[in-house]
Amino acid sequence: MLAAPNLHATPMPLEPPTESEARARERVLVLRAQRGHREAFAELVRVHERRAYAVARAITATHEDAEDAVQEGFLHAFRALDRFRPEQAFGAWLHRIVANAALDIGRRRKVRDADALPENVSLPFRDPAEHDELTRRLVAGLRDLPGRQRAVIVLHDVEGFTHGEIGEMLGIPEGTARSDLHHARAALRRRLGDLRSER
Amino acid sequence: MTLEPRIGPRGRDDDLTRALRALYAAPTDPAYWDALARRIMTRVGKDVEGDWSLPLARWARIGVIAAGAALAVASVALTRSRDAQARLAFHTIIETPRTAPLQIATEQETGSEREATLRYVIAP
Repeated sequence: MLAAPNLHATPMPLEPPTESEARARERVLVLRAQRGHREAFAELVRVHERRAYAVARAITATHEDAEDAVQEGFLHAFRALDRFRPEQAFGAWLHRIVANAALDIGRRRKVRDADALPENVSLPFRDPAEHDELTRRLVAGLRDLPGRQRAVIVLHDVEGFTHGEIGEMLGIPEGTARSDLHHARAALRRRLGDLRSER
Repeated sequence: MTLEPRIGPRGRDDDLTRALRALYAAPTDPAYWDALARRIMTRVGKDVEGDWSLPLARWARIGVIAAGAALAVASVALTRSRDAQARLAFHTIIETPRTAPLQIATEQETGSEREATLRYVIAP
């Protein structure tokens, strides 16, 4: 007779899940959330909120707007959950929704703040190197960029999204995202090119 | 010691990337993310509670459909019942009187024949 294996005898090493494991787990969470389990949706929120914030932050002018966009994005995603096909990547689907929420907030703010000074636009959440000349000039350079170009350069260079992913998020062709990135980099180089550092 | 461009085609573009990352750095405190997740779920919860009328509306829709179906069945039944009543009335009014007078006439004829025979026999 075989003895029942003692699962608690040797502690299992805690390894991070592989990509396929993570995807399978996410699929289970999505299916449970679609059946109305709110705790499963809460778990999806915890998994995706940082990346969703990064997407929103790249598009919106302020940290507060990015927070609002993340909350609205998740709310829209929850409402549209029955239209989500589980074979899709939940993250990509969510990012599109959050990006749309961020763009909406940007449009509303544009209308509301039509008369406000441009200094209120595009200020970073935090300025860790306030006295650094590069950072100061970068803030000014970003402020002068068109909103979409600013979003594209941040999503690509800071968050590492591909041109295709950025195109999907912002509702523009991949080629446009590529060209926006090129123009944004060129503009920042022009703006910051005369900065010198000692080696 | 030399001075060289930090940004630009011949410069170190990774400086620009680093500066951008510092500028757009997300909060690192786990408590911030826990709080944000709680706020999101509170909004979701409020939304769900706010939509309590949705199931009601669904039931109302089912009720309206059921009432419509019941009305249709009732109107069909009523029409059939009227038809049946009309047929019955037709049979009662049109067909029944046509046979009754004939029978009476026959009886009358039979009766008058007898009378005639009786009159013939007892006649002087």
